[in-house]
Amino acid sequence: MHAPIPERQLSMRDMEAILRVTRGLAAPFDLATMLGEVVGAAKQVLTAERGSVWLYDAAANELVLEVATGIKPVRVPSGSGLVGASARERAIINVPDCYADPRFDPSVDRASGYRTRCMLTLPLVDHRDDLVGVMQVLNKRDGVFDAYDEVLATALAAQCAVALQRVRMTSALIEGEKMRKALEMAREVQMSTLPSAMPSIPSYDVAALFEPAELTGGDTYDLARLEGERLLVVLGDATGHGIAPALSVTQMQAMLRMAFRLGADVDTAFLQVNNRLAETLADDRFITAFIGVLDPATDALRFHSGGQGPIFIFRAATSTWDRYRPTSFPLGAMPLSVLRPALLTRLLPGDVLVVVSDGIFEYENRAGEQFGEERVKRVFVANRAQPMSDLVAQLQQAVSAFADGSPQEDDMTAVLVKRSDARTARGRFDRTFDSIPGMVDFTAEAFSRLAIDGGLLPSIDLAVEELFTNMVKYAIGSNAPVHLALTAMDGGVELTLIDEDVDAFDVTQAAEVDIDAPIEQRTPGGLGLHLIRRMAESVQYEYAAESRQSRISVRFKATESAAPR
Amino acid sequence: MLAIEFGQDGVVLLAGRLDAAQSPAAQSFLDKVQGIVTLDCNGLEYISSAGLGVLLKTQKRLMASSGKLRLVGLKPHLRDIFTYSGFDQLFEIEPSR
Repeated sequence: MHAPIPERQLSMRDMEAILRVTRGLAAPFDLATMLGEVVGAAKQVLTAERGSVWLYDAAANELVLEVATGIKPVRVPSGSGLVGASARERAIINVPDCYADPRFDPSVDRASGYRTRCMLTLPLVDHRDDLVGVMQVLNKRDGVFDAYDEVLATALAAQCAVALQRVRMTSALIEGEKMRKALEMAREVQMSTLPSAMPSIPSYDVAALFEPAELTGGDTYDLARLEGERLLVVLGDATGHGIAPALSVTQMQAMLRMAFRLGADVDTAFLQVNNRLAETLADDRFITAFIGVLDPATDALRFHSGGQGPIFIFRAATSTWDRYRPTSFPLGAMPLSVLRPALLTRLLPGDVLVVVSDGIFEYENRAGEQFGEERVKRVFVANRAQPMSDLVAQLQQAVSAFADGSPQEDDMTAVLVKRSDARTARGRFDRTFDSIPGMVDFTAEAFSRLAIDGGLLPSIDLAVEELFTNMVKYAIGSNAPVHLALTAMDGGVELTLIDEDVDAFDVTQAAEVDIDAPIEQRTPGGLGLHLIRRMAESVQYEYAAESRQSRISVRFKATESAAPR
Repeated sequence: MLAIEFGQDGVVLLAGRLDAAQSPAAQSFLDKVQGIVTLDCNGLEYISSAGLGVLLKTQKRLMASSGKLRLVGLKPHLRDIFTYSGFDQLFEIEPSR
């Protein structure tokens, strides 16, 4: 913008006025205040009666005038009228007599009742030469706007443009920050509904996968011990992304837990929770959910699936899959007065319940292909001998490999419940030396039931005691029980101890004991681990940092006599 | 469970399981013996590192006054444990009958 340089230079007084005003422009943080400051500055410096600032909306290619709070802003296409001309030509337009100028639009005057006599319109351009908006000042007191006013206005406009741009960018940052905080909150809400630890059910191996998408979808799951050692299994998926679905699954979880705590059966719980959700959720919102209760005493599983599916059960005896379609509409879709009874089935040794959310079935790779049911089954069958926690990791890796860089659009959730093979016995023991007699009974009973070579029992008992006492002595701060599993293997036995809420301590890396040292140098320290290492076929240590879970597996091979290695 | 008591001629009878839970009681008992002490292990079914620690502490104390422990009747699988831990070099062990 190039106004002719007047004969008079900017006076010191005017310079000071502009500087004083623009110092004030450094302060405001929000756009509305900033606009007010700018208009105020323009009126003061140019001794005008009125002023306004139009902001340029690049996306809509419009100029926007905020009239007042609560009143919709005025929008004009960026090329229209005097403001449009000024913006387009990046030129100052000085109209000393508006009603004599054909470019002037009197409709605003008519609407407001004000009479615009003279008007100065100039573009606001920031230091990168981007259009920020257009400033207008009206009705100079005692006269019309002259060339000197144009120079003043130009100096002021440059400052205002920069200040306005700064505020706009800050607002965008703040909006972005608010959005990020809202998502963070949604994530926290979602995570708060999840169980903090896998319940340990004797003779069952239970695991879950939970990988939320960046824009959190409303997935949730639950694995909780109910009265009478029963296990509640839930997998839920609310429609939509963001905080609303996260909140609705929180609600669902809370209602389900309450219902079961009050002694409801699966049918009643499903019906009640469905009807409550139907009242509170918006018309187009619902939650697909698998809700099941397993009774380990009878190995009976009762479940409903509200739109969640397919539900799979792998049958070990025949190596085949049972596939169940949903039993009912999704939760919250509509109130129900009756319900088909829950499905009932029994899990036999080695059988696995596999519940997987859409985020896995429908994960698309770059070619637009979906991961699908068959791939889920394949991962499972290929790894079925492994603990369910390993299998969950395998599933996640398989999806990741399949995706090949294609982004995750939806939460991925899976719940696996396996009835242990007849070849494994599991127990759970409180973290105290008093548990040792119980562990001795456990191993003896397991050896008998699983028909394991009795010659290995003393070694197993020693390994159990040594590892367990280490856990009791050294994992301070943890009150979590210790899980024990014994698995009969061909020609031997495998012992696994799982310790939760602990720091990593790799027992396989413990220092060697010098068994030839003279008595003065001998101590009991490290003897336990030493004995295990000498007697066992192999010792393995694994630590999962996220769950703070350590897992020690020891294998013993049956031989004629336990010979030293 | 563990049974530890005096038998005939000052012999100490050890029977049952000398594990982490039982070791404190065993240590209390053995803290009172002196000189050359025979431990009858015919009834000992199980010993862990905690139990070995009890025996080690006792042996060190006795040896300081020219005494020692003699282990008799140790079952084969427990004999192996003494071998793996090198404790067979620290104690006099008589073969079981």
